Amino acid sequence: MTERHTGPLLEIKGIKTHFFTQDGTVKAVDDVTFAIGHGQTLGVVGESGCGKSITSLSVMRLIERPGRIVAGEVLLNGENLLDKSDGEMRDIRGDQVSMIFQEPMTSLNPVFTCGDQIAEAVQQHTAVSRREAWDRSVEMLRIVGIPDAKRRASEHPHQLSGGMRQRVMIAMALSTDPDLLIADEPTTALDVTIQAQILEVMRDLREKNRMAIMLITHDLGVVAEMADEVVVMYAGKVVERADVRTVFGSPHHPYTQGLLLSIPRLDERRERLQVIKGTVPSPLNLPTGCLFKRRCPHRMRVCDVAPPYQELGPNHFSRCWLTPAGEAPSVGPDAEGPEAEQAAEALTVEAR
Amino acid sequence: MSDQRIAATPADAATTPDATTGSGGQTSGGQTSGGQTSAQRTAARGGSGRGPLLEVTDLVKHFDIRGGLLGISKLGAVRAVDGVSFSVNEGETLGLVGESGCGKTTLGKVILRLLPPTGGRVNFEGKSLFDLGSREMKAARRDIQVVFQDPYASLNPRMSVGEIVGEGLYVHGMTNRKEREAAVRDLLKRVGLNQQHIHRYPHEFSGGQRQRIGIARALALRPKFIVCDEPVSALDVSIQSQVLNLLSDLQDEFQLTYLFIAHNLAVVKHLSTRVGVMYLGKLVELSDADELYRSPAHPYTKALLSAIPVPDPTVRRERIVLKGDLPSPANPPSGCRFHTRCPMAQEICKTEEPPLRDVGGGHMSACHFAEEVTPLEERRPAALPA
Repeated sequence: MTERHTGPLLEIKGIKTHFFTQDGTVKAVDDVTFAIGHGQTLGVVGESGCGKSITSLSVMRLIERPGRIVAGEVLLNGENLLDKSDGEMRDIRGDQVSMIFQEPMTSLNPVFTCGDQIAEAVQQHTAVSRREAWDRSVEMLRIVGIPDAKRRASEHPHQLSGGMRQRVMIAMALSTDPDLLIADEPTTALDVTIQAQILEVMRDLREKNRMAIMLITHDLGVVAEMADEVVVMYAGKVVERADVRTVFGSPHHPYTQGLLLSIPRLDERRERLQVIKGTVPSPLNLPTGCLFKRRCPHRMRVCDVAPPYQELGPNHFSRCWLTPAGEAPSVGPDAEGPEAEQAAEALTVEAR
Repeated sequence: MSDQRIAATPADAATTPDATTGSGGQTSGGQTSGGQTSAQRTAARGGSGRGPLLEVTDLVKHFDIRGGLLGISKLGAVRAVDGVSFSVNEGETLGLVGESGCGKTTLGKVILRLLPPTGGRVNFEGKSLFDLGSREMKAARRDIQVVFQDPYASLNPRMSVGEIVGEGLYVHGMTNRKEREAAVRDLLKRVGLNQQHIHRYPHEFSGGQRQRIGIARALALRPKFIVCDEPVSALDVSIQSQVLNLLSDLQDEFQLTYLFIAHNLAVVKHLSTRVGVMYLGKLVELSDADELYRSPAHPYTKALLSAIPVPDPTVRRERIVLKGDLPSPANPPSGCRFHTRCPMAQEICKTEEPPLRDVGGGHMSACHFAEEVTPLEERRPAALPA
């Protein structure tokens, strides 16, 4: 633990999760580093295939074959989760770290009542009677804003609407008072008015329980509203990381800038949307050097060499050759070979 | 005839009296869009002062709920679309928003006659689409096309791109293979796809590219009107903006009129001239797109707008959190359908259904208290010093 942060709750250090497929190795998560403090909300943003969900599954150690975490550390309160036995890990999941998934229908068991499913989680982690566990689950349903919680607890998932199911998922995830909630696209399948309800519930609980949230989403609006800090991922790597105001106010990486400019806004009229040309590269056929270079408006020769991970300001990192002011690097836009590699190394900082 | 038409420029095509004017024949004054020069049409993008291309009147679509011993007794009906009226002017984009279950997709399908209507009328260029025989309808379909939401499900995996895009041309009489292939290549180019990919199959393309194939298919017959049903909601943000720009470029190039159905209000507002808001099978508000955002005249629209997260952490928008869930469309609330969740509801709302009325300057709202709906408040708290 570094001294500047007084002990972050979760630290992910240089984690690499690779999938060994018949067609080759897919580096779904490639050297990702970030941290979340107690009570903080970290937004993880990126498009499909950028590795944001795999990052969260890696934290939970839920990677299945042919995938494997090949390097790195996941420190929860300073303890490396990757060293835990399966049994220890089961105790941690749900107790210290809980997760909610995008699809509330497929994540709930259709044959048990909602109350039973929450009570089961409670009994797993605390020594309480069935009766007490049931009472706790009714209370949780009430906390997440389900009207008539007592009756709803004895209903099955199919009897509830999508928004209510997501609340049940949240109730289950929070029933054990976790320190960290990992929410993977928690509102993507929901309508905006229901999304607003769910986000409000999450905000409330964050304040009451000082719970940290790792919020994975592609919706920049949700991130702007919920997150304290933001990590932008592209093709398995963190390309930019900063506090939320910096990411939205003065983004540095061309990908972050492109994302922000390409969304239609309600509060302004954009005649034409800016686009990021091209598509995300295939994970089996990534370009050398900068992964974003083929789509980047600032492409230089030097981008054929892997760009440095620069610290641009307090806690603002960007994986790009451009200087903090957005100009060509001092080594020159056409630098190549060992010269450029050395320059990249010199500019790269060890992210905390 | 049809070959000619496909080769013709859009402006020419529009003035060519051809199969679209079937035996239903003479239009009853609906076809007011005379003198359709390309320049005029382009200038009229924005729509005002132009006759309606499509008129929807009291459209109703109920899905019967059947049950009982033989499964044939009627137990009730899901009132997916329940008396919706609006018109779409030539050259404009009418956006239609609402949450899942509000009936927007059903409405689109009924207009396309992919679902039979329960009641009401849809006039296209003055002719009632529901009265057309199958041959006339086939002719009308050249002018009315559709782009679907799911680019994975809406393309036949066993057909090549050339076959998918060219199928409509074949059905409508372009039987010469060479000619068809040339037309398809041209279409692929216009939607930004590589012409070399004509023999590839859908699985070889990304989501954004597939949606371009779907758009090329819709364009093949040079339609006048395209129903876009959630065309970008399955796409990533960076691809979404590419497809939205393509749709607006094509609108300029081919003088298209769009009915743009989506749940994302920001996307709808971006592309639309006017926007209609649906709730439980009813149109509750219809207005100019910017006006709708600036001064909503229905509490549901206001709540919908307020629920959209602002992608700017320095802005705090007033948030109206609606209570509860959408009521079942099989058993909608009495009076105003929104009264069960409305923060402004009064006694009258429970008993009397508010009609869609003009509240000023063509801004339509179905609320008893439309005049009392205030604009959304937005604050920009002074930025904290870094």
